[in-house]
Amino acid sequence: MSTESPTPSAAQQQRLAAARSALQGAHARWGVTREATQAAPTLPLSSSLSSLLPAGLVRGQIIRVTGSTSLMLEMVAEGSRAGSWAAVIGMPAVGAVAAARRGIELARVALVPHPGAQAAAVAGACVDGMDVVLVGDAVALSDGDRRRLAARAKERGSVIVTSGRWPGAHTSLTVERTDWSGLGAGDGRLRQREVTVAIAGRRQAATRRVRVLLDNEFSWVSSRHTAAVSEGVA
Amino acid sequence: MTAPVQAGPVATTRRMVLWVPDWPVAAAMREAGLRADAPAAVLHGRGLAAVSAAARAAGVTRGSTKRVAQRACPEVALLGYDEGRDSREFEAVAAAAEEVVAGVEISRPGLLMIPANGAARFHGSEEALAEALIASVADLSEHESLVGAADGLLAAIMAARHSTLVPPGQSREFLSSAPVSALALAAMERRQREAVEDLAGVLTRLGIHTLAEFTALPLGDVIARFGHVGRWAYRVGRGEDVRPPVLRRSQEDIAVSYEFEEPAQRVEQLAAVAAHVAGELDAALLAAGVRCGRVSIGASTERGDTLERVWRTDVGSRAGAFSKHMADRVRWQLEGWLSGTSAGPEPAPLTSLMLTAQDVVALGDEQAYLWGGTSGADARAQRTVERVQSLLGADAVLSVREQGGRAPRDRMLTVPWGQEVRSMRKIEHPWPGRIPEPAPATVLPMAEPMEVLDAGGSAIVVGKRLGVSASPTWVRLQAEPGGARHAATLRHPSAGHVGQGPTWGPPRPVEAWAGPWPMVERWWSEDASRRAYVQIIVRDGDDGSVLAILAAYSGSQWWLEAVYD
Repeated sequence: MSTESPTPSAAQQQRLAAARSALQGAHARWGVTREATQAAPTLPLSSSLSSLLPAGLVRGQIIRVTGSTSLMLEMVAEGSRAGSWAAVIGMPAVGAVAAARRGIELARVALVPHPGAQAAAVAGACVDGMDVVLVGDAVALSDGDRRRLAARAKERGSVIVTSGRWPGAHTSLTVERTDWSGLGAGDGRLRQREVTVAIAGRRQAATRRVRVLLDNEFSWVSSRHTAAVSEGVA
Repeated sequence: MTAPVQAGPVATTRRMVLWVPDWPVAAAMREAGLRADAPAAVLHGRGLAAVSAAARAAGVTRGSTKRVAQRACPEVALLGYDEGRDSREFEAVAAAAEEVVAGVEISRPGLLMIPANGAARFHGSEEALAEALIASVADLSEHESLVGAADGLLAAIMAARHSTLVPPGQSREFLSSAPVSALALAAMERRQREAVEDLAGVLTRLGIHTLAEFTALPLGDVIARFGHVGRWAYRVGRGEDVRPPVLRRSQEDIAVSYEFEEPAQRVEQLAAVAAHVAGELDAALLAAGVRCGRVSIGASTERGDTLERVWRTDVGSRAGAFSKHMADRVRWQLEGWLSGTSAGPEPAPLTSLMLTAQDVVALGDEQAYLWGGTSGADARAQRTVERVQSLLGADAVLSVREQGGRAPRDRMLTVPWGQEVRSMRKIEHPWPGRIPEPAPATVLPMAEPMEVLDAGGSAIVVGKRLGVSASPTWVRLQAEPGGARHAATLRHPSAGHVGQGPTWGPPRPVEAWAGPWPMVERWWSEDASRRAYVQIIVRDGDDGSVLAILAAYSGSQWWLEAVYD
């Protein structure tokens, strides 16, 4: 046995670095470390909604949206465009054209309009395999099912956007007021919509209210520049 | 300045052409079950596209209108135009010709091209080959045909029309006296033929009547005056080949079929057969060294109905999963059909089952995405969908696509996941009068009845001339089932709720509206619809929130079609 020198030589340091990097690679490959499984902690969110969720669409969270299917679709649109898959469970009336216009790639959307009594199993499978799961309000889920789904979503890093009741949702968005413009007394057509959204979250004490331009007549002509005006804290 | 004219012999292929006269009408008569000597014509648009020999003898000419044709020959049968039928029926003729020669080119339905040299040597002479072809086509497909042979494309086609064999080297003389309008015979598709017919018209008006006169012009001048079409016509008129014949190679379909010894009626009987047949197809594909992109599953019943669906096979490289994957598809399809949940003919015991591979590619030639292969997320999502399908059945998971249409519901097409359905409604078509953007986010799968009332509370009526009887003031939607109001009306039948009619919610004031926008669709068919659409904003609650809806007036009843929520 040779005597060990107090300071490692350059060759030894190099070998140590190589071993560390190999170990890190193995960790990443087998998913030992949390960083490896959650490479992207958020899904992309369209710029008009960044005022609603300043932290972005964080993976593993439950977001409850009441009062607007369009807002649900808009939440997942940017992610779908970037390549994520979406499952739509228990929403038999969702408009595909509206979804496509908001930027959702319909080839990466699976609809389960009537999950019936198997809703929990279906939602579980979708949370396992899809990035975004949209859940309608008429879905047979118990509170226990919801808790289990939330834990599973957190583990798998998928986002659940629901329009129904969900105790323990991370963020709850409620459309309180809708202002359409463009429609008159027998003339015109629906052109532009501004909604006031109340945002309540588990982590925030007070409810915040934000106005968002949800439908803009010219949004499909130019890029989606929609102004979001914050009304401040209520 | 003119380009040098190439004189002398041109490189051509000796070819034989088999021509069935008046093919579109021959195919249509065969399908309609008419005798070959009956007067008939195929009507396309305003004019006749093809006329049978008997009708032509009676004075009906190609291109004339329906009325003129019926005046000339009152008993003429007018048949519909169908390009698909033309190609389909011609397959029998091509197959009959392939009994005699190894490879044929279908230039267009009605015209077959055969490279003559080798085949003529095999049969002894060109006359023998021509006889064998005519006999085989007459025997196997029961169509009369004419055969001719010459060097070059146009000469061969004209030889077939005259039923002559032009000796080698004499094609140019054969062509020289032909009129310039004969150039259109060599045009294989409709648009090209129209361009060539225009060219022939111009040449005739310029005083150039025969191909010899046309090809005597300097090529440079022809190109300068007539461009691309002129160049093509010049080469064809000189007896040149534009391209060598592209031979098709007949290939057997990779298909597996199973005949039930006694007609199968129960799903349990089918499950084992499904696995067996899928395994056989997998083995057949493996033996041929190919894999397929789609599989068509067909089943025929005791009553003679057939049930066919096409499924995508996205199993990619997971070769071992293929047979299981297909067995599931077969089982789902038959289960859904036997239990009567999916549309199709009336359930009856099955007599045979057939699986045919489509989109066949050689192993290793699969096309991945443009950028990289299928990602891990795609494969994971695919597995998830299969999992959900195994939980709920194949029809419970839908994929959705956008299609052309006017009303919001018509513009989406939902099909069971993995199934291939071609939409007949193209997005690119103009669809005049469609509901303007933005698209509603909630489109009711079935329209619900609703009430649109005027200030006095009587229903609004939209007249034939789109006059609205009064300005809409109130809207009553159906009460939510399970809601307090619904429960109350059920509890007190005396409270105005009589019979099984809908339970109405409270009347809501109209804030703004627009319309009516008329939509009259498919008035010629049984599923005709005649509706007038109105966009309405109603006040939803006491706190000033509003709801935008799309309502339709049809059959003196208002329907809630979609909600802009």
